[in-house]
Amino acid sequence: MKKRPSTHSGHRFPAWTLGLLGILLLILVPVLYFLPSAQKTNDPAAYLPVQAIHVDHSDIVKGEFETGQDVTRACLECHEDAAAKVMATTHWTWESKEFDVPWRDEPVTIGKANQINNFCISAQGNQKRCMTCHVGYGWEEYEEYDYTIQENVDCLACHADMSSYVKGEYGNPAEGVDLLAAARSVRAPTRDNCGTCHFDGGGGNGVKHGDLDESLYFPNEALDVHMGGENNMLCTDCHWTEDHQILGRMLSDNYTIDPQEQVSCEQCHVDQKHGDERIDTHLAAVACQTCHIPALALEDPTKTYWDWSQAAQEGREDDHFTYLKIKGEFTYERNFAPTYLWFNGDNEYRYLLGDPINKDGVTYINKPAGSIADQTAKIFPFKLHIAKQPYDTINNYLLAPITAGENGFWTTFDWNSGFQLAEERMGLPYSGQYGFTETYMYWPTTHMVQPAENALQCDSCHGDNSRMDWEALGYPGDPIKWGGRK
Amino acid sequence: MKQYTFFSLIGLLLLAAAIGFGTVLAAPEPAPVSQASALHPNFILLDADGVNVLESGNAVSTMLTCGQCHDTEFIAAHAFHSDLGLSDYDSASVTFDTSNGLFGQWNPLTYRYLSPAGDENLDLSTAEWLMLNGARVVGGGPATTSRGGAALTDLSVSKSNPETAILNENGSISAWDWEASGTMEMNCFLCHLETPNNEARVKEIEAGKFGNANTATLLGLNIVRKTGSDWAWNTEAFNELGEVNSETLRIQDPTNSNCAACHGEIHADETPLTINACDLDYPQTATTGQVVSAQRINDSGLNLSAKNDITRSWDIHAQRQLECTDCHYALNNPAHASEAQGTNPSHLLYDPRSLEISEYLERPDHNFARGESAQFNVAPEYKGTMRRCENCHDYSKGHADWLPYIETHMDAIACETCHIPQMYAPAIQAYDWTVVTTDGSAVETCRGVEGDPNAVTSLVTGYQPVLLNRTNIDGDSLLAPYNLITSFYWVYDDANGSRRPLRLVDLEAVYLDNGSYAADIVSAFDANSDGKLSDAELVIDTPEKEVLVREKIAALGLANPRIEAITQPYSINHNVTQGKNAVNDCKACHDADSRISQPIKLADYAPAMPHFDLDNNVNGSGEFIIAEDGALYYQPKPENDGMYVFGSSRVSWIDWLGALMFVGSLLGVLGHGAMRYLAARKMPHGAAATRRVYMYDAYRRFWHWLQTTTILILLVTGVVIHRPDIFGAFSFRGMVTVHNVMAVILGLNAALALFYHIATDRLKEFIPRPYGFFDDAILQAKFYINGIFKGEPHPFEKRPDSRMNPIQKTTYFMILNVLLPLQGLTGILMWGVQKFPVAANLFGGLPFLAPFHSLIAWAFATFILVHVYMTTTGATPVEAMRAMVTGYEEVDVHEDKDEG
Repeated sequence: MKKRPSTHSGHRFPAWTLGLLGILLLILVPVLYFLPSAQKTNDPAAYLPVQAIHVDHSDIVKGEFETGQDVTRACLECHEDAAAKVMATTHWTWESKEFDVPWRDEPVTIGKANQINNFCISAQGNQKRCMTCHVGYGWEEYEEYDYTIQENVDCLACHADMSSYVKGEYGNPAEGVDLLAAARSVRAPTRDNCGTCHFDGGGGNGVKHGDLDESLYFPNEALDVHMGGENNMLCTDCHWTEDHQILGRMLSDNYTIDPQEQVSCEQCHVDQKHGDERIDTHLAAVACQTCHIPALALEDPTKTYWDWSQAAQEGREDDHFTYLKIKGEFTYERNFAPTYLWFNGDNEYRYLLGDPINKDGVTYINKPAGSIADQTAKIFPFKLHIAKQPYDTINNYLLAPITAGENGFWTTFDWNSGFQLAEERMGLPYSGQYGFTETYMYWPTTHMVQPAENALQCDSCHGDNSRMDWEALGYPGDPIKWGGRK
Repeated sequence: MKQYTFFSLIGLLLLAAAIGFGTVLAAPEPAPVSQASALHPNFILLDADGVNVLESGNAVSTMLTCGQCHDTEFIAAHAFHSDLGLSDYDSASVTFDTSNGLFGQWNPLTYRYLSPAGDENLDLSTAEWLMLNGARVVGGGPATTSRGGAALTDLSVSKSNPETAILNENGSISAWDWEASGTMEMNCFLCHLETPNNEARVKEIEAGKFGNANTATLLGLNIVRKTGSDWAWNTEAFNELGEVNSETLRIQDPTNSNCAACHGEIHADETPLTINACDLDYPQTATTGQVVSAQRINDSGLNLSAKNDITRSWDIHAQRQLECTDCHYALNNPAHASEAQGTNPSHLLYDPRSLEISEYLERPDHNFARGESAQFNVAPEYKGTMRRCENCHDYSKGHADWLPYIETHMDAIACETCHIPQMYAPAIQAYDWTVVTTDGSAVETCRGVEGDPNAVTSLVTGYQPVLLNRTNIDGDSLLAPYNLITSFYWVYDDANGSRRPLRLVDLEAVYLDNGSYAADIVSAFDANSDGKLSDAELVIDTPEKEVLVREKIAALGLANPRIEAITQPYSINHNVTQGKNAVNDCKACHDADSRISQPIKLADYAPAMPHFDLDNNVNGSGEFIIAEDGALYYQPKPENDGMYVFGSSRVSWIDWLGALMFVGSLLGVLGHGAMRYLAARKMPHGAAATRRVYMYDAYRRFWHWLQTTTILILLVTGVVIHRPDIFGAFSFRGMVTVHNVMAVILGLNAALALFYHIATDRLKEFIPRPYGFFDDAILQAKFYINGIFKGEPHPFEKRPDSRMNPIQKTTYFMILNVLLPLQGLTGILMWGVQKFPVAANLFGGLPFLAPFHSLIAWAFATFILVHVYMTTTGATPVEAMRAMVTGYEEVDVHEDKDEG
């Protein structure tokens, strides 16, 4: 112990720093190891797409625009392939891809272009009005639409500020629209662009969907936790869009839907559980929507029943919500429980023009696929729209009247003229005899999602006050006592 | 043997139904639809003479009707709901309680006292007891049978017998003829019909027409109508055999609604829930605020403060579709048999032997599984028979991912304590019977509501239950939530010398004069001099008022009137919520304003200091406190129950002593340092001869600084754990973890250092040499108090092989051999309360170990202070510290002791 002290002059750091480091490590490593780690959270908001800031086009867009096509040509100067991309979508074709369905020999397509629903029944032959929601210009009833003309793509419908742009007859810009102002306002689509057609589908606010209506323009959190909540989400936050291909498919316009093409809660709610094993066990049989959309049409009412047979009554007073001479009798409902069915995402059946109706009961316009035995199916909420609509009593199929225009039903109030006109335009033979039959159309509900504190509770479905018809769903009885599906 | 044939028939029917049931199970579709039990056959309604009521037109006899198949005698004899304490009745009881049930146990809320035979003054006779309590009496027991066991109708009528008399409003006594009033058999319909007409039943009972009560239960079911005093049976409700259709009656297992009829608010439908608050017709709700409903609280109709944010349901078990009978089942129900048997051999997990369903249906035990609530004492032999939380839930799973010390917590806290954190309905706070209102009721106060509890404009705030220690049947002592209700009332000594509560009729005689307040009462009580008495003015808060009332009572000929008070605990076991809404923040309890020591207000004013009702399983170990504004509080004293809760509990003298030690030392070293500084200025400057010595080798320095760091962190985290109220920024749980980890590191470091010192023979450095020890120590001490100021050299040279002076050696000897082991031991024992609580309990448990641990911590803190100061006494103030970093120290040259 008598050796001369070394001076550490050769070292950049004195030796004791090594000891200090050792001590710090000895302390920190065990502490960090044992400290209760914060629960990993899967923040759904982290999965939201980053919306790029759109370039302000007000200084870019120049020039006199006489027609919508002029605008599109201008757009295509820079966005060369945009029209081609849009033309590959159903927003343009109004027709699905081809499906093989068991009740037809030939593959079929489904869409507004060629099939009917149980609201206004048919867009075919009624292009004058219906095409205000087509993403193109100049689709008229008398001639075959040419789907290949790029300049007919209506860029403004989805990209213009909707305070500056309105579509009119045959999908052309409405008269008086300042196309230059509209073109200069373009940006990424907002709720307004989508809502103009999708909130007012069926001809008015909230007619078609029980979960999409104009209340969603400015929703509060209690109406829609996504669009009204702190994230203030846009349609495109869930309907992810790439090359104008928008994620999400409408059940009634398809036969089967590839899950890859459908919007799902799991896009953002990845591995998110409820912190409650009992609730989590439901996930095998119950869709998210079932509990988190406890009621439909929370603010604005939606149409649940439409009786065309009552149309054309002379002298009966019109009322938007109960009776219109041109349309018949309706029922609108608000804040009501959905109809629950097993649903695997597909249709079991979609009525195709010319299909025979069920003379002994209800004819389904569409019937969601799934049953208790289908392990891919979950209990899912639907808006059921019931209609009484015309059919050909001889040919035994549903008819699609032409309503608007000269000789249309709304002009003549004579069903025969509407059906004869349809025979001319659509080629659907009319025997001259018609009746009315009840049809069901199911609309899946996925909007107006509620946060946990407003979701269904156990007693909503189980026990004496149940909203579920367990036996109709295929259970022997309330699964809380009889057990879930095996 | 007509009955036998009938019995066999029913047996066959049951068998057929059972086979049918089996078939249903085998082929699940289609399911039975009906709500009422499809098992129950149609049956004949018999009157008390055993004749079909269709023939006799009489009231129905449940015992004979249901007795056609079920053993109603057995049922009535095995039903504490029917007995209500009758079998426990003891007229010689020295307390107010002559039994353990509704019939005989004096309830200061309902106040009226069931007079035993031979009392000087008749208060409540059996007949009047039945009229007043009949809404919650199912029949049989005291409604049919006298205290002596004879049928009430067999008693000879005498107005001197409290069983056959009644006290009239004017204070006179009349005889009661049970033959005329009829008695009330156990009413099967009340619990086994889907919609019994309880309202009509209660009306008959309150009118004293007990014989009509059970038949009145059927009114409105289209089976029978009442015409005048006769019964008109609707023949259309009966089949050609004279049987009533069981589907019409809807015979069923009791539902929550059936239980609600007597027990409290149970809400089963989707309409917004409203309640009758503090209303003894809904006793469970009135006394505790418990509401059994699946509804979300924010969906209910209560005017509840901050309601929108309370999105939990009132009761998670109701939400999850449990029924009362799922936990409170018939004890011989074969579906629950294994739970009911507590006598299985220890190796047997399940005993398949149980009653056949037919045997059970014939003789279902109507003693239902029950808990250990403080407020219900009837049938104590069945306490703890019910399915409790732990029978269904495995707490070790549910809490595993977040709660440390699970076992320790579960051994001290009942599940309800955290899972019923808050009551959201009002509950009774106090009943003041020292005064009486003009309608003959006490002045009642309600907690959890601002204003009249049943006015829609009153804001309901709810309340936090008080946590009290209760002792379970199995001997476990657990903290559980309670409401405390305090009652004030007059008592007197009757002619027999028995203490009795002042009769209501006498109380009214004192206060009232023809239905309004007597003039002398008004003048004494009318605080605002408006000539009227409000409920707020009705309070005996001055000696003058008390004297006035006492003298008026004495004037009635009642001896020794005085005010007494009792505080009674009411258990809260319902309104459970799941984990995310339960108490799950450590600091809710581990903090200065811990939930476990929260006082609860008992009354705005106390006419007398209450005593805690100890006739239950609750430890009344707290204190009654009168606040400055005169309000009465109950302050729980968990330390009296042997609880020590980190962050909440403290022994203040320990902390004072420790602080004194620390501050004293601080002042000492500051003074010493200041004097050294002053002395050094006077002394001639000039470097004393020093030389450089390699004092501390690397390992020595390493273990020293590791020890320093861990001790400092231990002290800091320890202080945070001790006083989370001051150091609120830190996570309590995190601090506990860091503290424990540091303790382990310190222990390991100390052990390795010990090994090093033993292995290198350096240990002897730490051992004071006995020889000449005191001389040396005194020499060293003299240096510190004298020589150091004069620049004298250290009396003992600091050398690598002998670095410590005698005082240092003593200090380290004490620290290493006494303080450190003690601190380690107490720490390990405290940590071990969850793994091996027996060990901690050997040393007095946490209440001793924790304060002791704190005291030693103070000693360590003081040591560090002095230790750091002493390092400044080297060649230069920082020389010793630098040596502990670099290893080399300049030490004074001691010529004489230099070994060269």
